[in-house]
Amino acid sequence: MKEVFYPELAERVFWDTLPNGLTLAVVPREGFQKKLAYFVTDYGSIHTHFMQDGKDCEAPAGVAHYLEHKLFDMPRGEVSAEFAALGANPNAFTSYDMTAYYFSGTENFEKCLELLLEFVSTPYFTEQSVAKEQGIIAQEIDMTADNAETRVFENLMQAMYPEHPIRVPILGTRETIAEITPQVLEECHRAFYTPDNMILCVVGDVDAQAVRQIACRILPEKAAPKAQKQRQWQQIMTCQQQAVRDRMEIAMPMFQLGFKCEPLEKGETSIRREIIGDLAAEALFGESSQLYLRLYEQGLIDASFGGGFETADGMAMLTAFGDSDDPQAVKEAILDQAWQLVDQGIPEEDFLRMKRSSLGRRIRDLDSFDSVCFRLCAYHFSGFDYFNFPAVYRSVQARDIQDFIQQVVTKERCCLSVITPAHEEVSEHEPK
Amino acid sequence: MDQAIQLLPGVTLRCFPDHRFKHGCLSVQLVRPMCRAEAAMNALLPAVLLRGSRKHPDLRAITLGLDDLYGASVSALVRRVGDYQTTGLYCSFMEDRFAMAGDQILAPMVDFVRELLLEPDLEQGCLRADYVDSEKKNLIATIESQLNDKRAYAMEQMIKRMCSADSFGIPRLGEKEDVAAITAHTLSAHYRRILGESPINLCYVGSAPADTVAALLKPVFSDIDRNYVNLPTQTSLCSQPGGSHTEVMEVNQGKLCMGFVTPVTIRDSGFVAMQLLNAVFGGGMTSKLFMQVRERHSLCYAIGSGYHGSKGIVTVSAGIDSAMFETVRQQILAQLEACRNGDITDEELVAAKQSLRSSLQATHDSPGAMENYYATGTLSGLGMTPDEYADAVEQTTAEQVAQAAGQLQLHTVYFLKGVAE
Repeated sequence: MKEVFYPELAERVFWDTLPNGLTLAVVPREGFQKKLAYFVTDYGSIHTHFMQDGKDCEAPAGVAHYLEHKLFDMPRGEVSAEFAALGANPNAFTSYDMTAYYFSGTENFEKCLELLLEFVSTPYFTEQSVAKEQGIIAQEIDMTADNAETRVFENLMQAMYPEHPIRVPILGTRETIAEITPQVLEECHRAFYTPDNMILCVVGDVDAQAVRQIACRILPEKAAPKAQKQRQWQQIMTCQQQAVRDRMEIAMPMFQLGFKCEPLEKGETSIRREIIGDLAAEALFGESSQLYLRLYEQGLIDASFGGGFETADGMAMLTAFGDSDDPQAVKEAILDQAWQLVDQGIPEEDFLRMKRSSLGRRIRDLDSFDSVCFRLCAYHFSGFDYFNFPAVYRSVQARDIQDFIQQVVTKERCCLSVITPAHEEVSEHEPK
Repeated sequence: MDQAIQLLPGVTLRCFPDHRFKHGCLSVQLVRPMCRAEAAMNALLPAVLLRGSRKHPDLRAITLGLDDLYGASVSALVRRVGDYQTTGLYCSFMEDRFAMAGDQILAPMVDFVRELLLEPDLEQGCLRADYVDSEKKNLIATIESQLNDKRAYAMEQMIKRMCSADSFGIPRLGEKEDVAAITAHTLSAHYRRILGESPINLCYVGSAPADTVAALLKPVFSDIDRNYVNLPTQTSLCSQPGGSHTEVMEVNQGKLCMGFVTPVTIRDSGFVAMQLLNAVFGGGMTSKLFMQVRERHSLCYAIGSGYHGSKGIVTVSAGIDSAMFETVRQQILAQLEACRNGDITDEELVAAKQSLRSSLQATHDSPGAMENYYATGTLSGLGMTPDEYADAVEQTTAEQVAQAAGQLQLHTVYFLKGVAE
């Protein structure tokens, strides 16, 4: 086990790679009662197409999420009750490119950890239990369909990415989940839940050696051959469809704007690009920008307005979203502002202040155990040790932000998704 | 649980010195009785104060000031705690020791709060009319957008109907027609009045010692012309007869909300048993509602219950297929009946206890959670630290939980019925 110090953050982490390929990260937090463990696989909703045992496999949309629900079943019953008896809350989530299982609690940490590792690495699916889950997930799909923030985002992805599976909702649809069988779940589990495709991250007042021993004892000794993700997604940087509209039972029009960016490479360049993207968003339309003040004072945006850099495996974008009576005007204003920033440059003083503020917020964020686990795992999969972020900030210059804006914030790369209230009249044509 | 320092009459500081965190927090709350006449003004006021002070006259100037404090944040804090509404500011900021050599954060942060709270950008002695108008529009938009979250919307409709004769029926942010009626003049007069007469509660979590924080904060409030008025005590629900209500909407999923009344509030000895009953009944993933209605019968995805201890109300909410309304309603009542009959397994009881204990014990692991626990606990009349509370949970028996269930009475049912598009 390697103990790494990060003096600027007053943090240390015990890192290890077990013989079976599992990555282990333990962040000791003395004096805290809460303990949090994340067990995560580098596999999400977009990885439906893969090669396994020389065979080309195509799983139905929504399978990663379905699998996440069904893994809680063990031959002896559902495991949530066992966690509960130990005083811990287990949960899980599926994103576009990873699936995480976790628990937090103050007592019985080692037993809970054993249970977490055990249930995630034990596929147990019956015809009956898989069929029963369909009703629950169908209700989850309906609930999500009524959520305007999700719909405005999913519509944007569909319009922007004709060739990338991010266009498909994480949950799949009622039709695709009907195709999921125990065999499909087993196949996907075997493909992506092998230890060398996973990371275990623990934050809290725990003994790192004990964590390692438990992981060695519970998980398979050797890694099974993992599947090869098929991810030859076409990358066109212009948006062929530049607008998408929808209607829902909401109070006020809602929008999300996306600017296509080149997908990130692995390693330090990925977080560097992300920090540059976030600072570009701040410079363009963040709360400290001239534009934000003007749009807010004109009543074109309100406190719901926000944005930043978003990324998933094989895609990246700069985005802005919020409620507005005139989303088109917000889009035009952002494009104009980009011109001006590129033309006039960002004053060094403004840039340094922005950087300090962004760095300060990331440091504050480390008090959240969930945030620490999430980021250490996500960045690990993109090949970067997250706690090294202060050094990346030092290397970013104002020039990088300008270059980014010049390249990305253009009409060609832009798409606007709008949802208008169902009771209001809308014109069928995009306003000029 | 009170480690209160009386800075001035009616100005109380609670400090929780702690060195484990990278950030600290400070809240300033003016405590008001919840009433229709001022709820909207109390909700609007901090948003207007955050638009500009004399020294930082617009949003951008404020953000630049906060950026200089390493990305500190200040936000409007408007809470409802039983019969009280609080209005004020909440700040979160990096600890001084992570700043570059020589940079301070806490002291300038307190000064920034002083400025925002006491030195607004005035025109002719009034809060700026353009800021008031623009924040009115935003607040109305916020109130209207509650419709976007159908589960929260349905719950609010249920509470409104259930508490039509009680202050609890007034929405936390007020009614939109009351917001619309506010002028810069009326808001300014209200601002001066509540600054003078409200109890002011301050809460700090961070590494600075209590006397340092007290020395920084006392001068902030010393110059205010104060004529402090005590608040009436908290009351339990004043209820009208209940009923059943249905609203139809073009949504995919229906939302069923049920409201139960109980004489047991946070100020009664039966409080802990009621909280534990809520956990057994619908409080989490091991509760009867989750395990039976969702897992066993596959009737929903989201289902749960909540106990509003300051008032004595238990609510249930479920997202369902609208055709299954009656089935789910019956199922929910059947689960409560099981609790009443003492049909509670050891596993269920232990799980509910563990889950409550675990979240109580974790309170001290986050500055925000500590602030929330103590700031609202003090107002609602909760007289226990998280550890004392956790001990009381441990000592509660299944019989006491069943008794608590017996004290719940169904009062109101509200159904947001989805119709196909």
